[in-house]
Amino acid sequence: MTGSPNLSRRDVLKIGGGLAATVGIGGSLAACSGGNEFEYMFWGSTGEQDAIEAMLSSFQDTQEQLTIKPVYTPADYDTKLNALVASGNVPDLGYVQPAMAYRLAEQGKLLDLAPYFDEYPSLGQRLPGSYFYWDEGKCLGTQGANETVITFYNRAAFAETGAQPPPASAAEAWDWDTYVENAYLLTADQSGRRPDEAGFDPAQVARFGTLASMWSGAWYGLLLSAGVDVVDSSGTRTMLDSPEAIDMFQKLIDLMYEHRVAPSPSQLGNNAPSMAVQLASGRLGMAVDGQWALLDVSQAGFDFGVGVLPSLGTPKTTAMGGPTAIFADTEYVEQALELYAFQSDPDQVDLFSSGLWMPLEEKYYTDPEAIASWTDNDAHPPEYKTAVIDYTLENSQTYFTQKLRNIEEIDRLITATTERIQTGEEDVATVMGELAAQLNDGMLQGVYPSAPQ
Amino acid sequence: MTGVLAPGPKNPSAPTATAVQRRGRSPRTRVGEARGLTRAGLWLVLAFGAIVMIVPFVWLIRSALMTDAQIFSSPPAWIPDPFAWENFPQALTAQPFARYFLNTMIIELFVVTGTVITCSLSAFSFARLRWRGRNVVFGLLLSGVMLPYAVTLIPTFVMWSELGALDTFIPLTVPAFFAGAGGGVFNIFLFRQFFLSIPYELDEAAYIDGANPWTVYWRIIMPLAKPVTVVVVIFTFIGVWNDFLGPLLYLTDDSNFTLALGLATFQSTYTAQWGLLMAASLVVILPIIVLFFVLQRYFVEGVTLTGLKG
Amino acid sequence: MTSTTLDRAPARKAPPGSPGGPRRRLGRGEARWGVLLALPAILGFAIFTIGPMVASLIFSLTDWQIGGDPQFIGVGNYVEMAGDPLFWKSLGVTTYYTLAAVPLTLFVGFVVALLVNQSFRGQSLWRTVYYLPTLVPAVASAVLWIWIFNPDFGLFNTILRSVGLPTSNWLYSESTAIPSLVIMATWGFGNAMVIFLAGLQGVPGQLYEAVALDGGGAWAKFRHVTWPFMTPVIFYNLVTGVIGTFQVFNQAYVMTEGGPNNATLFYIYYLYTKAFTDSEMGYASALAWVLFLIVMVVTVVLFRNARSWVFYEMGDAR
Repeated sequence: MTGSPNLSRRDVLKIGGGLAATVGIGGSLAACSGGNEFEYMFWGSTGEQDAIEAMLSSFQDTQEQLTIKPVYTPADYDTKLNALVASGNVPDLGYVQPAMAYRLAEQGKLLDLAPYFDEYPSLGQRLPGSYFYWDEGKCLGTQGANETVITFYNRAAFAETGAQPPPASAAEAWDWDTYVENAYLLTADQSGRRPDEAGFDPAQVARFGTLASMWSGAWYGLLLSAGVDVVDSSGTRTMLDSPEAIDMFQKLIDLMYEHRVAPSPSQLGNNAPSMAVQLASGRLGMAVDGQWALLDVSQAGFDFGVGVLPSLGTPKTTAMGGPTAIFADTEYVEQALELYAFQSDPDQVDLFSSGLWMPLEEKYYTDPEAIASWTDNDAHPPEYKTAVIDYTLENSQTYFTQKLRNIEEIDRLITATTERIQTGEEDVATVMGELAAQLNDGMLQGVYPSAPQ
Repeated sequence: MTGVLAPGPKNPSAPTATAVQRRGRSPRTRVGEARGLTRAGLWLVLAFGAIVMIVPFVWLIRSALMTDAQIFSSPPAWIPDPFAWENFPQALTAQPFARYFLNTMIIELFVVTGTVITCSLSAFSFARLRWRGRNVVFGLLLSGVMLPYAVTLIPTFVMWSELGALDTFIPLTVPAFFAGAGGGVFNIFLFRQFFLSIPYELDEAAYIDGANPWTVYWRIIMPLAKPVTVVVVIFTFIGVWNDFLGPLLYLTDDSNFTLALGLATFQSTYTAQWGLLMAASLVVILPIIVLFFVLQRYFVEGVTLTGLKG
Repeated sequence: MTSTTLDRAPARKAPPGSPGGPRRRLGRGEARWGVLLALPAILGFAIFTIGPMVASLIFSLTDWQIGGDPQFIGVGNYVEMAGDPLFWKSLGVTTYYTLAAVPLTLFVGFVVALLVNQSFRGQSLWRTVYYLPTLVPAVASAVLWIWIFNPDFGLFNTILRSVGLPTSNWLYSESTAIPSLVIMATWGFGNAMVIFLAGLQGVPGQLYEAVALDGGGAWAKFRHVTWPFMTPVIFYNLVTGVIGTFQVFNQAYVMTEGGPNNATLFYIYYLYTKAFTDSEMGYASALAWVLFLIVMVVTVVLFRNARSWVFYEMGDAR
């Protein structure tokens, strides 16, 4: 080559060939995917993953033609599902977040299960609140499992302090003052003083009586017990600025700053430590949380109990659960429906007996034999029947985030608002007034229909 | 003048040699003492800083040896009691981590190779060859990383889907051979900045001797660019090692999963198994710590311009 | 060898090939080689980048919920943004964070790089230790920092209390949430440090000797040798730092979820929520293009400004 080289054809080929080879190598990495595949998409911990894959594998044994493929997506589930929807690669069956499920159903991407309820009784006879109707008579499915909000407590803490354990039936639910009184008895600083005793050091609390969770799932039951809801019957005006709602929020905040029987959010920190750990270590006397915590609580190695929530009038709790749906594109409707019933059968999935999930079919709440099939074990304490099962059946209402339209925007606003009041520095009525003004300004767009009675 | 700043390749060390000799001759004991004191002070600063920096790692180790209850006990404990050694076998058998390691290494091999070669080549062109539109093209490339990936993710996913490449390593590896399309532009930019700091007289002399740009790139520039190459290798390797969203989106069969996905299973959508997560994290980052420890030796002063070895 | 030799840093060399400069010997072939060698990048852009970019620009002009059909609405999304308080909030939060985090990270990274570039005993170990924080997985370090910032029993407040200083609510108060995240980001200066460290290897050592001979001390060495030779790398860290930090996401995603009361609602976190929780891809794309324009303008300004302080051996570079 000389001082002024030209690019020879050979140079081009050399470099171009390298690139082509690269693509070729990439291509050889492609895995083969067979036909007759049936994809089941889900999230969960490694424990849930094992349970679901075991369930899928026993379902596989009943299938000859179909290959069931678990698509385990540990995190960023919405992101992946959106990408799959946009590219037309949706699974056959899968978990979906409520708002996205309604959206996909309205777009015709999910199968309407209503026509199959007679043919598959285990699908048709579930708790009425667990159904997701996106339009009159059109149902995208039910929750994958049920959950309710209850009180967990550490028996030793109660025995030690002489406090009364939380009642195990709705009929005996505490009124607020009794709840606060018992929380006082449980709370103590490092030198053993109670919040109502002189010299109590709020910076050095050894045990808090309870938790004042500002998560909407935790306060929704209280709100309902006071006789109001997040929205009125029209679904377009909020009741969160009603005197009852303001009083309810004020009571929660007073637990932290007035009575000092519950940790403030800054004392608690956000995702640490978990409720089960705090109960087990005696740092907490009681806690209001979802029933799913029973799995952790029952494995934390301490004497625990479960009870109903305090009530501001009529005892109420929240029932909730993310929907599972069949995608409309599936070529295997029949098998999908079979699997849909199969996946919520406590005999097939051990997550029911381990305490993580509650069943959906009504018979598991009413028929003693069916009840025993999932609660007759170490995870479920004796009072579970009245404190959780009956409570769910008679006193629960579906979580509003599963019913309201435009819930993502509403939920963001409610979360930010509760973060404002939970510092204890802002006036609850004023903040709720601001919240209501924004909600009523077109953000509330009504509710989805309920299951026909 | 040019000779000092930009020695030609033929006689690079001449001025330095004299300077060193002169310095060696002058008596500098007092200055030496003062320097010794300064160094001791700096050493102390360094040591103090190191303690601050090592806290997270110590935290990780102690958490890896704790039960979930201990990890979050308040006030926090630093010594596990008891040592939860079982976290390690439990974490490492919860998922087929050997398989995930293999998958990750396959992706690493392609991505690191592709990125280093094509990014440095392109950067060589942008830094040391003159062609019409060069700066415009570079600006366009750079603009590609200014648009949040969240909105290009779906179109990109659809493209790979149309090409039938879902659940393969193709979407994760092939872009690397196109100068790391997307985020790889940062690497081109980085190489470019370093290449721009190398005196052009080196290329000039080579071209006079009849070399072509490829030869200059391969025989002159790249050997001088070891430190930056090491940086790109480290960053790319760690980027792939920790990449979570890419594998999550493109891989569905869990036999194709990578280490980062395996780790994520311990902190799923609604639950976390902290002890296992910490134990697995610890095992998973050890290789990259070793990698860094080994590669950082290439950050040795005086290689680039003086051409002096050692 | 005079001090003027070393002072020339900001002055630009005559571009090679310009009249009076050394003539290039590559002639026409240079342009063809240039395009050929840049081909991977050009093809990469053409195949993998431009399509999705254009697609998102088109989406930004539509009302598109993923799964549905896009409706063309012109600049409707952009008009909606003007009246969206969360858009303004997230833009403010992100700008505040960028202005604080980028300079701090660069400064600390630079100083530490200078330190660990000294031939101390155990140099390899020092460097590795200072790089460690960037290696710890995001989730693990998030848990650690949540503890450090815990107002009740966290590390910071424990220290502050023990020396009698007032404590802070850190992440749990709207006014201190962002400063807290800036502290956390600064502690991850390792990547900037490594790049600086690599850059320091290109500083010709013999120039330090020259400064010493001219009677210059440590400051003169830094000012006349280290600084000018490091400017291309500083510039790199500045530009990529700005581009990257405007797109900060992880801390909000794994630690704060944008709270309290949206005090840490980073722009990309908001965008990501719109795109994948709400599936509002049209609106998210509009958000993305506004950020794109902002980052683009800042970057162009930085590049223009660079001419006055960044020193390249290749004189015609920008």
